[in-house]
Amino acid sequence: MKDDYLWDGSGEPDPEVQKLENLLGRYRHDQPAPAFDQLSEERPAPRWGFASFRFSFQIAAVAAVLLIGVAAFLIIRARLASNAGPAWEIARIEGAPRVGWHSLSANSETAKLKVGQTLVTDNTSRASITLDETGRIEVDAASRLRVVASRPGHERLSLERGTIHATIWAPPGEFVVDTPSAVAVDLGCVYTLHVDDSGAGLLRTTMGWVGFKLNGRESFIPAGAVCATRPKIGPGTPYLEDAPTSFRDALTKFDFAKITPQERNVLLGILLVDARKEDALTLWHLLSRVSDTDRPGVYDRLAALAPPPKDVTSEGVLHLDQKMLDSWWNSLGYGDVYLWHVYERTWSEK
Amino acid sequence: MAQPTTDTSAEDALVNAARAGDRSAFGLLYDRYARMVHGILLCRVPPREVDDLVQEVFLLALRKLDSLRDISRFGAWLSTITRNRANDYFRRSDSLDRATDPEAEELAESRTNDHVVEQEAAMTLAVLRTLPETYREPLTLRLVEGMTGPEIAMRIGLTHGSVRVNLHRGMQMLREKLAERVQGNLPEKTLGAE
Repeated sequence: MKDDYLWDGSGEPDPEVQKLENLLGRYRHDQPAPAFDQLSEERPAPRWGFASFRFSFQIAAVAAVLLIGVAAFLIIRARLASNAGPAWEIARIEGAPRVGWHSLSANSETAKLKVGQTLVTDNTSRASITLDETGRIEVDAASRLRVVASRPGHERLSLERGTIHATIWAPPGEFVVDTPSAVAVDLGCVYTLHVDDSGAGLLRTTMGWVGFKLNGRESFIPAGAVCATRPKIGPGTPYLEDAPTSFRDALTKFDFAKITPQERNVLLGILLVDARKEDALTLWHLLSRVSDTDRPGVYDRLAALAPPPKDVTSEGVLHLDQKMLDSWWNSLGYGDVYLWHVYERTWSEK
Repeated sequence: MAQPTTDTSAEDALVNAARAGDRSAFGLLYDRYARMVHGILLCRVPPREVDDLVQEVFLLALRKLDSLRDISRFGAWLSTITRNRANDYFRRSDSLDRATDPEAEELAESRTNDHVVEQEAAMTLAVLRTLPETYREPLTLRLVEGMTGPEIAMRIGLTHGSVRVNLHRGMQMLREKLAERVQGNLPEKTLGAE
């Protein structure tokens, strides 16, 4: 690659790159830093010095009694209220979605969805729930969605059945959805999650990417990709929605069907032959899901479609060296897998 | 090609200081990362919205700085917040379709400007924004923000190898698309089909 100038501005200047730099440079960032110092001063942080701390003992005593009373009230209330924490705002879209015995039947009617409560939609109703710091979720008909936990930096829902469309603007790893067959962790995205009556699920990412996990089995689903999940098995191997039908069918059987080792070999053969360049997403996941015997074949095919970075060796990948697998994933351009490792640990601890 | 230790340790010190409440340290982080944030936004949202969103991203980062567990990954963390904010922009404008049509938007903006060079710049940016996200982002940081490849890798937290490959492939694709445009034969927009 004779692209030294494009890479770091060294070497012989590429006239075309220079022209583009000149042309597009007008959009370059040129705003000075906001006054962050002043921002801190604007914060309501009362600072009382000794000079302003002159009041009578009587006032101090009254204040202390009041303070103790308020503190006691808050502690008692916190213990009694199992549904403390931020509440999701429910808005009716159609029909009469309900929370417990309460139904929302008018467009103007809103309600709160708190920890432990379940939003239920029947076959004719839909609703949305919104939390300012987290995101907005549309709940389709025939769904049951429960709030498991709600506190700053950690929102956890459980989709027991049905379909949700999530648009999340909270930082990665702060929004988690449990399903009967996998846990979906938002890594900055827009996605749709469906769970059927058997507990099987399907996750489709529109923007960003989502991590899907159960019992140590992990899948990363970037924009344009889909991943199925099954109870007791966990997430299958993600694939791009426009993958050939033969590829998708083979993958579904490979992931979930009860098949003999010979049949599994045949399916793997189909996957390797039919994989396109963009199906590197799927092959990368397969590296850690096939046997040691099958792994070299997957490695060769993936390396042909998406050559590994220089710091990745075949030996390392065949031994499932995590750093090398991560590096190869990052080179595919779907997102930094480091985020997953950090935030997966974060929500696992919560 | 590892980054100089002094640079990364100085940056870690800045992040640590900012976490401890030192706003001037956060201001220095802004100076280092504002172009990255600006570039990531520019390849996703309309140019007129970008400056305001840059400020919002940094204010959000300031508020959430305590949630950053590994200070050495500040750049990767900030870039994810930025992409989230861009997603949020489309949610708030209640028009996800706009994400698939940046070209029309750029063209509409350029119609109000008679200057040929301005129009060419708007057209070029529009074409750049039709590239797949993998290529669009590093190329915007390189061509618009004037960052070098090593700088992009360090700021976003990617390997030199992947950034270099994406710059190279992205530039190839951009050349082809610009050539097609010159021939009056620009194909359908592809941003949504990544």
